[in-house]
Amino acid sequence: MNKITSTLALLGISLTTNLFAQVGQPFIHDPSTIVECDGKYYTFGTGGGGLISEDGWTWKGGAERPGGGAAPDAMKIGDRYLVIYGATGGGLGGGHNGRILTMWNKTLDPKSPDFKYTQAIEVAASDGLEDNDAIDPGLLLDPTTGRLWVCYGTYFGTIRLIELDPATAERVKGNKELDIAIDCEATDLIYRNGWYYLLGTHGTCCDGVNSTYNIVVGRSRTVQGPYIDNVGRDMYHGGGRMVIAAGDSVTGPGHFGRYVIDEGIEIMSCHYEADYRQSGRSVLGIRPLLWKNDWPVAGDRFKGGTFEIESERRGYALELAVDFARQNVQRVGGFFGRGNNDTPVKPIATQKLADVIDTWPKGDIPVRIGDYMFRPHQRWTITPVAEAGGYLGGPYFKIVIEGTNRALAATADLELTTAAEFSGADEQLWRIEQATDGTFRIMPKAIPGQEGLNTKYVLYSIADSTPTLAEWDFNTDNSKWNFRAH
Amino acid sequence: MLSVPLTTAAQNPIISGQFTADPTARVFNNKVYLYPSHDILPPEGTRQDWFSMEDYHVFSSEDLVNWQDHGVIVTQNKVPWVRPNSYSMWAPDCVYRNGKYYFYFPSAPAKGGGFGVGVAIADNPEGPFIPEPEPIKGINGIDPCVLQASDGNAYIFWGAGRCAKLKENMKELADDNPKEIVKWGNREMEMVGVNCLKGLPNRQAEGPFAFEYNGNYYLTYPYVRENTEVLAYAMSKNPMGPYEYKGIIMAEHANGCWTNHHSIVNYKGQWYLFYHHNAYSPKDDKRRSAQIEKLYFNEDGTIQEVKPTLRGVGINQANSRIDVDRYSSASEGVELAYLDTANTFRGWEVKLPKKGSYITYNDVDFTGANARTYVTANVKADKNTSIVIRENNKNGKVIARLNLKVEPEGGNNGGMMMRRRSYVGQWHAVTTTISHVPKGVTNLYIACEGEHPASIDWMQFKTPPTYFTSATAAPAKPDAGGFIRRWTILEPIDKPNRSNTVFTDSYLREHFNMEYFPNQFTIVPEDGQRVKVGKQRLTWHKLDSERFNVKLFRFADGLQKQIYGVLFWNVTVINCPEEIKDVRLAVGSNSASMWWLNGEEVLLLSGDRRMVKDDAVSPRITLKKGINILRGAVINGPGMSDFCVRFINENEKPVTEFEIK
Repeated sequence: MNKITSTLALLGISLTTNLFAQVGQPFIHDPSTIVECDGKYYTFGTGGGGLISEDGWTWKGGAERPGGGAAPDAMKIGDRYLVIYGATGGGLGGGHNGRILTMWNKTLDPKSPDFKYTQAIEVAASDGLEDNDAIDPGLLLDPTTGRLWVCYGTYFGTIRLIELDPATAERVKGNKELDIAIDCEATDLIYRNGWYYLLGTHGTCCDGVNSTYNIVVGRSRTVQGPYIDNVGRDMYHGGGRMVIAAGDSVTGPGHFGRYVIDEGIEIMSCHYEADYRQSGRSVLGIRPLLWKNDWPVAGDRFKGGTFEIESERRGYALELAVDFARQNVQRVGGFFGRGNNDTPVKPIATQKLADVIDTWPKGDIPVRIGDYMFRPHQRWTITPVAEAGGYLGGPYFKIVIEGTNRALAATADLELTTAAEFSGADEQLWRIEQATDGTFRIMPKAIPGQEGLNTKYVLYSIADSTPTLAEWDFNTDNSKWNFRAH
Repeated sequence: MLSVPLTTAAQNPIISGQFTADPTARVFNNKVYLYPSHDILPPEGTRQDWFSMEDYHVFSSEDLVNWQDHGVIVTQNKVPWVRPNSYSMWAPDCVYRNGKYYFYFPSAPAKGGGFGVGVAIADNPEGPFIPEPEPIKGINGIDPCVLQASDGNAYIFWGAGRCAKLKENMKELADDNPKEIVKWGNREMEMVGVNCLKGLPNRQAEGPFAFEYNGNYYLTYPYVRENTEVLAYAMSKNPMGPYEYKGIIMAEHANGCWTNHHSIVNYKGQWYLFYHHNAYSPKDDKRRSAQIEKLYFNEDGTIQEVKPTLRGVGINQANSRIDVDRYSSASEGVELAYLDTANTFRGWEVKLPKKGSYITYNDVDFTGANARTYVTANVKADKNTSIVIRENNKNGKVIARLNLKVEPEGGNNGGMMMRRRSYVGQWHAVTTTISHVPKGVTNLYIACEGEHPASIDWMQFKTPPTYFTSATAAPAKPDAGGFIRRWTILEPIDKPNRSNTVFTDSYLREHFNMEYFPNQFTIVPEDGQRVKVGKQRLTWHKLDSERFNVKLFRFADGLQKQIYGVLFWNVTVINCPEEIKDVRLAVGSNSASMWWLNGEEVLLLSGDRRMVKDDAVSPRITLKKGINILRGAVINGPGMSDFCVRFINENEKPVTEFEIK
């Protein structure tokens, strides 16, 4: 048990820190798809440079990308990192003679002795007169064919598709540009489940809190399109279905990127043109990426609150293994409701913590899963713990019985218990991620006795009534939970 | 099988991105098929300064310009008789006979030494080729070539010019071939066939390529005349000789590249020499690349000597990138350099070192170019200078002048932005319209006209799309999607707005409803009719849009009018044979717009709009029988203004039962 953490946690427990967006200094515009390199996360932005995060939650500047220009993208291919960006014309008032350039690096860590970009190679260009502005590239390495595609362009004309050689990141010889969309910019291509998706940023950027950026999507069975939206409209005719718009005190989401953490656990990255909680600055956004009928939708950030923790397996609720305490409320209405209906109805009291807490044991209490009756032993208050750091897209949470500090904890034998007082120890901190189907994965930060962070074991319904810790499996409802406020 | 199109812009070398040595070209099914050997960088653990070839690709082309790589057809690991790690898949050949394609290739056998020649057979020139389990008995050597003579027989040539007849099965030597005892040192060997180069200039001869033309048999071959190989030839009236030496087809490579190896083919009436050079591997002449030149015969059947060129053969389309560093000729002092010495496949740059330095580039096809064609060139210079492009020669008409303003302009005093950044020593694209439109295929003369050197990577002559044509007298119909493409559009009214954000409903009502010109809401303008708006004299243009969206930006740009911060008035006249009830006007516009049908306002698109199909629709309206006037005003800040308009019915289907006058 970590005494220092524990003390800090106890002192800091009521302090509110900024746990709403990515913490640190996540200031960026047009973030590239997040890439992991040697345990750290990287994203590059417009104008050169980018952000680094040790844990995926706290971000700061420091990533390095030469060439300046607009809206880069990045990905790992083999044992190298490919970075692509657009160089603007830079003429008076900003010309539209853009260039798309690619370069490689063995590492993204500027402190590594291997950190050295190859000479940037031009793979596409616009001449300033044609209906295209060759900036804002997005990369797709097609998992079905191994072919490497790039979409690029802005509102100035069309979004175009080109093909690169994945071995060299040079343009495939003879490859002709294909127009696939209009009326968007900062696009990205992704592939999932037999569909190709073109994510475009619609609206206007760079106007602070008044920026109207939002991200829309069309899909196609072939990478060449046509990319069709949910009402059958081609993105080449301006179509697109909303993926993410303003809300939650941030406006202007733009420049989509997808990151698959595990099967069924995905996030999307973007920037928000303005974060009302951070002086209206442009910040990195990371949200759960959900899939509904093969359409991508941004999930909401999980912020905590007081919930039933419902198992997807049976619909039962996580609860303390304590005696069921009957409520002494006289039944009104006689058998089968055939009593006197003229008596006015009135609210009656629910069971309160104070009614039952003295009947509970004082030390550790195990947990089980039972049918939910909104009783105190079934109601959990979930709160982010600022000092505990985070993981890709979220902070660690504590999970306590409402009105107490009795905290859910992982045990060394891969079971669960509750400790009477939250200590801040890693086994009492929980990583909570929304799965692509909208359910949640709940996993302890660490397992007592095991080295390092836990990335394997999750809260799991091994039986309808029995929780345990087991390996994440998206294909079983045993792995999945819902937070219900009711 | 992998099939990747390769565009090489009709130049030497003809294939980039991989090495292609010993190019054997054959014509099958009206296409040229190229069967080269495939030089690679030697794998670790093998001899680094020697040839290394593990497989064969086949390429095809219909124009000798665009080559398609059909991928690997034979590889050393999948031929039973070949030693799998020998990296000795040397110069091959492929011929068609009796419905099959026979691919002949030499390699090091798994058993025994020297070289054998194997056969792989396919139903198509691209393969798949199935290798025979054993090499051809009686052949010990390299570089097979099969001649199908007009006497009905097939003859195989190999090594230093030995020739033997093949059986009809193409897989075995015929039984009636002559045999001779050849002494090698103190060893005696029985060899099948005849040595056709015996007594001829034949030092280190190899790579025989035999063909028949006009009653003569030609045996062409590389040999070492002095220190490196030349391509030579001999002629005979019989396939197996005796041959008479005639001379040189191509002299030694000027850079010392030791080998040359070739084939000669007639395609669409022109003879071509395919040969190789180490253009992409200047420091290592064991990695070679195929090139092509035209080849000509004299009247007596002898062959004119061929000079290697950078330009090669084939015609470049003006509207594709042309690597002019593969020039046809150059003045003294013109310099060539690799763009990237670490990756030579990226090609070259050409430097015009001083005023008057020039290159010529032949056979560029300007078909489709017009007065709106412009040239874009990727160029580099250390100081401001200029390049002139003329037709044919130094006295030819000026096609374009490229001004390389690479030095920064404006300064940055007092925190002011520089007007133009520095491009000193950097590649950048320069674009300018052309002043003379060449007709058809022509030659370019490209010269440095400024006081300082200029480097060129490529140039391209682009012709912008046609966005509009003049409306015809005949009535138009909505397109298949119901979009109305015929409009009479007024040249843009200046309406300076730096951004779209001002386009609030109240701003738009005020500014769309103010009077800019008389009878603004009733006029049915004629093409060419003029109006006065403030100080502007503006003309109505009756046009048919080539696209479903009417690109007002390109309308204004084409007339060299203001493109941003403007207001466009658009009118169209709809003639309905019958009344159509309960339709809706469906509009997308960049940016905000307002629409009136028969004088009544029916739709306002306010705010920061993009042209999205069916972005907003009117309430249900009626198109009356006969003439209906549809009028729209589109206002634009900093975007590319356009709109799309159609009528849709209750089922959201397009309404098309009307004419547009």
